[in-house]
Amino acid sequence: MFRPTRHMLLAAALALPLALPAGLQAGPADNSLTIAMGEELPGFDGYISTSRDGVVMTRHLFDMLIYRNPETFDYEPLLATEWRRIDDLTWEFDLREGVVFHNGDAFTAEDVVWTLNTYADPATGARSQAAVSWIDRVEAVDELTVRVISKEPFPAALEFIAGSLPIHPADYAQSVGLDGFAQAPVGTGPYKLGEVRGGDFTLLRNEAYFEGGGKGTPAIDRIDVRLIPDTATRIAEIIGGSVDWTWNVPADQIPQLDRLPNVTAELGTTMRIAMILLDSVGRANENSPLADVRVRQAINHAIDREGIVAALVGGSGEVINVPCYPLQFGCDTGAGVAYEFNPDGARALLAEAGHADGITLKMGSFRDRSRAEAIQANLAAVGITLEIEMLQARASFSSWREGQIDMWYGDWGSFSIADTSASMGNFFDGGANDGARDEEVTALLAEAARIVDEDARLAAYSEAIRRATEAAYWVPMHTIVMGYAYRPGLNFAAPVDEVPRFFLASWE
Amino acid sequence: MLSFLLRRLVLSAVVISAISVITFGLSHVAIDPASGIAGDSATPQDIALIRVQYGFDRPLPAQYLSYVGQVLQGDLGRSYLTRQPVADMIASRVGVTATLAGLSILFALALSVPLGVLAALRPGSGVDRLALTIAVTGQAIPNFWAGLLLILLFGVTLGWLPISGSGTWAHFVLPTITLGSFATPALMRLVRAGMIEVLEADYIRTARAMGLSERAILFRFALRPAILPVISLTAVQLGFMLGGSVVVESVFALQGLGYLAWQSMTRADMPVIQAIVLMISLIYVVLMLLADAINAALDPRIRAAA
Repeated sequence: MFRPTRHMLLAAALALPLALPAGLQAGPADNSLTIAMGEELPGFDGYISTSRDGVVMTRHLFDMLIYRNPETFDYEPLLATEWRRIDDLTWEFDLREGVVFHNGDAFTAEDVVWTLNTYADPATGARSQAAVSWIDRVEAVDELTVRVISKEPFPAALEFIAGSLPIHPADYAQSVGLDGFAQAPVGTGPYKLGEVRGGDFTLLRNEAYFEGGGKGTPAIDRIDVRLIPDTATRIAEIIGGSVDWTWNVPADQIPQLDRLPNVTAELGTTMRIAMILLDSVGRANENSPLADVRVRQAINHAIDREGIVAALVGGSGEVINVPCYPLQFGCDTGAGVAYEFNPDGARALLAEAGHADGITLKMGSFRDRSRAEAIQANLAAVGITLEIEMLQARASFSSWREGQIDMWYGDWGSFSIADTSASMGNFFDGGANDGARDEEVTALLAEAARIVDEDARLAAYSEAIRRATEAAYWVPMHTIVMGYAYRPGLNFAAPVDEVPRFFLASWE
Repeated sequence: MLSFLLRRLVLSAVVISAISVITFGLSHVAIDPASGIAGDSATPQDIALIRVQYGFDRPLPAQYLSYVGQVLQGDLGRSYLTRQPVADMIASRVGVTATLAGLSILFALALSVPLGVLAALRPGSGVDRLALTIAVTGQAIPNFWAGLLLILLFGVTLGWLPISGSGTWAHFVLPTITLGSFATPALMRLVRAGMIEVLEADYIRTARAMGLSERAILFRFALRPAILPVISLTAVQLGFMLGGSVVVESVFALQGLGYLAWQSMTRADMPVIQAIVLMISLIYVVLMLLADAINAALDPRIRAAA
């Protein structure tokens, strides 16, 4: 069905040879950057503000102990200069000397100990408990040495330390309290918070930022962050020239935007995977046809994933056959059963399961209605009637977690953690995310997240992937691409982990 | 008059209570508040714990009563997400929305009164048809669409006005036109109808016969009675402006109440949504009450009928 959308309106406008204003050129002229984000942050505490936009700001205001290079994926020094494993439970970090927080406080082991111990306590209310719950305690060995001790052997420890655990100044944070800190954050990061005007705010270059860390030295003096929730408005602003950078640009807009002389637009590959979760345990419906493995396999066969990726995802989006992101540690793409597009086979499987007359299922989704409708059409062709419930992201995910829908076509960014424990581990854990409740898969994943020996971990993940795909608990769909639009002359590299790093950006 | 006002007050109180029950009920059906507070990575055990801690395991009527008790004491609760008091969040945004709604209704009046009068003077003429066209177009185009068209023309192509944000008065021009043009048609049609009716009245004919100038007839004798019903409609439209601001504020990135409502919906931040719905309904009911009172004060027939 043809439905004109706001994006089509913009597309039509873009197709006209517009007499474009020259652009304000404020960016390169005064070495500042105006970026437009779509989501208001609940605050600047990285342990509370864990949405994608929040993660981006956390990386600018704060530093972690170590840094993962977004290109090589190697760990590099940041607040820690060296680190070593002491035993299965313990990592030791030598801290950098002479680092100061934005308020002038010296950075010491005490700050690391206080920050990590505080947020590891569930009572503090860190939003992503997965990032901190593995920590048993953190101890200072001396002024510039700390030890992080996990409850159980935890192979993904460095991933979380590099990705999700910013260090706060202990004295200041205690004096202002958690809520005060979220409004007036102080970190060691390459940028410090300037003026805040509602949802808009300014980041100023930290002139005292230390040298020799993985983040390098920031080049841009000032970053003005503007909150513009509407995608079409963000695109209009970038064309109009008063915004220098934005993201979440729909894939179908990228080629047209890129043709404009004052805009560079590109699609970046991301770690985010899209998938359809199937409620095989029957939370939404006691007599769910999805309890039958043949029905789940039929759904896998019925969906033309290649076609959806080619027509509706675009860019470097790829079909995936496994319930994890292929570059994550442990994500053995060879271990999974791949279901090829085969509507006849799907119909046969449904008939065999006693559903020759067809079934009706309810699927929730949020990001892209056209993709959800493509799936609806694919399933209709084999006799499955799909009711679609489109909601906002969080409400949609909640309706899956609360067992109100048979299927959820969503996506997952793994908190940008390059380990299968952050993808598959999050959905087969026996918790609210888990619609399969396969104890064997859960046990295999729990074991893989605990053992330190890499080969044994890989073997456990491969076995979990084999079992989960044989039982067709998911329809693994595709990777998600991220659309970026920015001013030509800005040196910016689209990051695979969906965390743009403006401290690496510069004007030509 | 007093008994009329009392009856209206009681009715308003009933409406407000009904709204509070509905918003409370809906927000507890739409999402499990315990999982909302617990966040995305919570285990079922965490959620169960929060359910008990916050009292979500109690029967809904009991929860509703304690909610009403808090609201009456001015405590609107805390946001699930930012942990800030909802009252503070609303207070910091209400200014932008009030400015937008006020400017929009002024814009709508400035456009609809003269156009309505002109159309009434010559029914069926070119001016009347033009006014009708404006009315139909303004009513038919959705806010977000009109907003984007204006952005494309004045922001992108001509570059005359800022596209989004709320930094200067210029930032309010496009949102005001967008929102105001939605209120214009109804007001204009009412002015037109009122004027036509009044101009046919006997006393106008008498005035003409006495040789008064057309200008004096129009402005001193016709417009004032014709514009009375417009006052109450303006109050109603001002209420619509508050509702319409959800879309317009999002399109133009104005950080007011409407935007806060939209953002809270995307995050399932129920205490904030609940408070905003309640507040906008309250304003709406007060405006209606005010309009009724003004009308009743001006027209004894309304007092008698009520």
